[in-house]
Amino acid sequence: MVEPLIRVRSLVKQFGPFTALNGIDLDIYRGEVHALLGDNGAGKSTLIRLLSGLYRPDGGQIFVEGKPMRFRSPRDASKAGIGTVYQELALNPLMSVTRNFFMGRELFWGTKPFGLLRMQEMDQITHEEMIKIGIDISDPRQAVGTMSGGQRQTLAIARAIYFGAKVLILDEPTSALGLKQQMEVLKTIVRVRGRGDIAIIFITHNELHSKLVADRYTFLALGEVIGGGLSEELAGEQVRHLMAGGVEMKDLVKELAAARNETFRHAS
Amino acid sequence: MAPIGSTISTPRVEADRLARTGGLANLKRRPEIGTFLVMIAVVLAIAFASHGTAFNALGVKNNLSIIAQFGIIATGASLLMVAGEFDLSIGSMIGFAGMSMAMMLKWGLPFGLGPAGPASAFLITLIMTLALGWLIGTIVVHSRLSSFIVTLAFLFFLRGITEVCFRGINQSTQISGLPDFKQESWFAAVFGGESFQWLYSLWFRLGGNVNRSGLQWVTGLDARVVWWIAIAAVAYLVLSRTQAGNWIYATGDNRESARANGVPVNKVRIGLFMFTAFCATIFAACQVFDTNTADAGKGNLKELEAIAIAVVGGTLMTGGFGSVVGVAFGAITFGLVANAVFFIPAIDGSYYRVFVGIMLLIAVFLNESVRKRITGGI
Repeated sequence: MVEPLIRVRSLVKQFGPFTALNGIDLDIYRGEVHALLGDNGAGKSTLIRLLSGLYRPDGGQIFVEGKPMRFRSPRDASKAGIGTVYQELALNPLMSVTRNFFMGRELFWGTKPFGLLRMQEMDQITHEEMIKIGIDISDPRQAVGTMSGGQRQTLAIARAIYFGAKVLILDEPTSALGLKQQMEVLKTIVRVRGRGDIAIIFITHNELHSKLVADRYTFLALGEVIGGGLSEELAGEQVRHLMAGGVEMKDLVKELAAARNETFRHAS
Repeated sequence: MAPIGSTISTPRVEADRLARTGGLANLKRRPEIGTFLVMIAVVLAIAFASHGTAFNALGVKNNLSIIAQFGIIATGASLLMVAGEFDLSIGSMIGFAGMSMAMMLKWGLPFGLGPAGPASAFLITLIMTLALGWLIGTIVVHSRLSSFIVTLAFLFFLRGITEVCFRGINQSTQISGLPDFKQESWFAAVFGGESFQWLYSLWFRLGGNVNRSGLQWVTGLDARVVWWIAIAAVAYLVLSRTQAGNWIYATGDNRESARANGVPVNKVRIGLFMFTAFCATIFAACQVFDTNTADAGKGNLKELEAIAIAVVGGTLMTGGFGSVVGVAFGAITFGLVANAVFFIPAIDGSYYRVFVGIMLLIAVFLNESVRKRITGGI
């Protein structure tokens, strides 16, 4: 049995009387895409905020490479190798690709904070890293504002990997993108997976996208894990059923029909 | 024309959509090009209308005197605006700093610590103004209020304090007839003395710069020209070539994403409020040691001129983008127009404000189009 890169055991998070997560277990492996699925309010966001150090757990334990971790800040989590790419991406549109890539972690000669930027070296590294991940930006000095949504997502992923992420948490990377750009992001995910040394936690609402790239699934509902497994073990119907939080499609159809009748009665 | 459905020999990639441009087109993309063209037009127009007197030995000195004043404070305002904040207290800070120095020079150090020299008066004032800049920055950062309203409060507060101190200690809101410190003290001469004497000597030796009796006419430029060049050069270097510069851009562009990437956005902003206070203090020191006077009304409305010059120089009102070189061009343009009345007696001096208003509007529209071009229309 391979040692998981991240092991989460009976993780609990409460907000006052509200239990957001009620004892979550999760194993994340290197070289795998782990799809984290669940309806709104299932606890996905709380879980990734715990993993990325934004929240502290009220119970349970997170292990990274077997070592128990206590994250006090996002900085701690990123030092431990957990890189989170949020929906809003943390990019600055007016600044160049290079300046965004090295934002807050610039290479310089001299002393902080007035060290001279090693611009050429940074341009070169940015260009190379972007080619590695599959995008040939003609000019790393172009503003990020000129890039497409998919390219920006890819830039944020490349940046996280370059600065030492062993686990990439992608928070709905394909939402708010056009179809072609969604495919671009999925291609990026597949390429990163191909390196074999990085684990990807892929949060999505899109069943098709998860089927295209995921190796393993975990389904959350009402703060608990309600199912999961390797992709080859799960049938399509089962995925949809678990994604909806365990509601049967037949029930939904019935409820819809009932609702239709109600409106009809009001109108007449 | 290939029929629809056939394979295209070279597939188009996303990168192709950004047009590759040559040298001239790149020049057109520079944010300061518009200001540069306006500056050239103003220089030519004033040279022509004044029959060259605006650019004779005395004209250059007088023009650069006001240009340097504008340049010093506009550079500070511009860097702060790139980081996404405003400082409306610059003008009142100039008045406060001038009052503080002149009062110490006339009435001695506070708490009866004996007479003050130019160095002690300047340094104590600088410590106070930097502390005020720190205070303004800290309030803005921790209250999360708009810097517009916080610095507006300090605009009134500092002007009021300046007047109260003047009347309370000096019985009058102005001080004049201080000793001419720049004659004896090198420290005072650094602010109030002359610079570039070698250039004016050279000009005389080459046959220009002669007065009616055939001797050298003008001896040099004001010392503040050196301060302007130094402040602008350092600001340019910091903004475009250093790590701090990257932080300033990042803070103004999108503060939250800068923070998420570990940029110390609060320190950047507090530091820049201290920098505008520093610029205001240098402005005041040059004025006090040059004229040996101070007045409670000094620096009035200078904060708005500084912001106008920063905007005309290509600094975005919304932060994240700006050019120190463009601000220098803007300072030259505004200084020349403000001074034009002395060389062209036929015009009304108030046309200066008409010009500022028109330029400001044009610049805001131009800057917006530059911003749209570099962000792809967001």
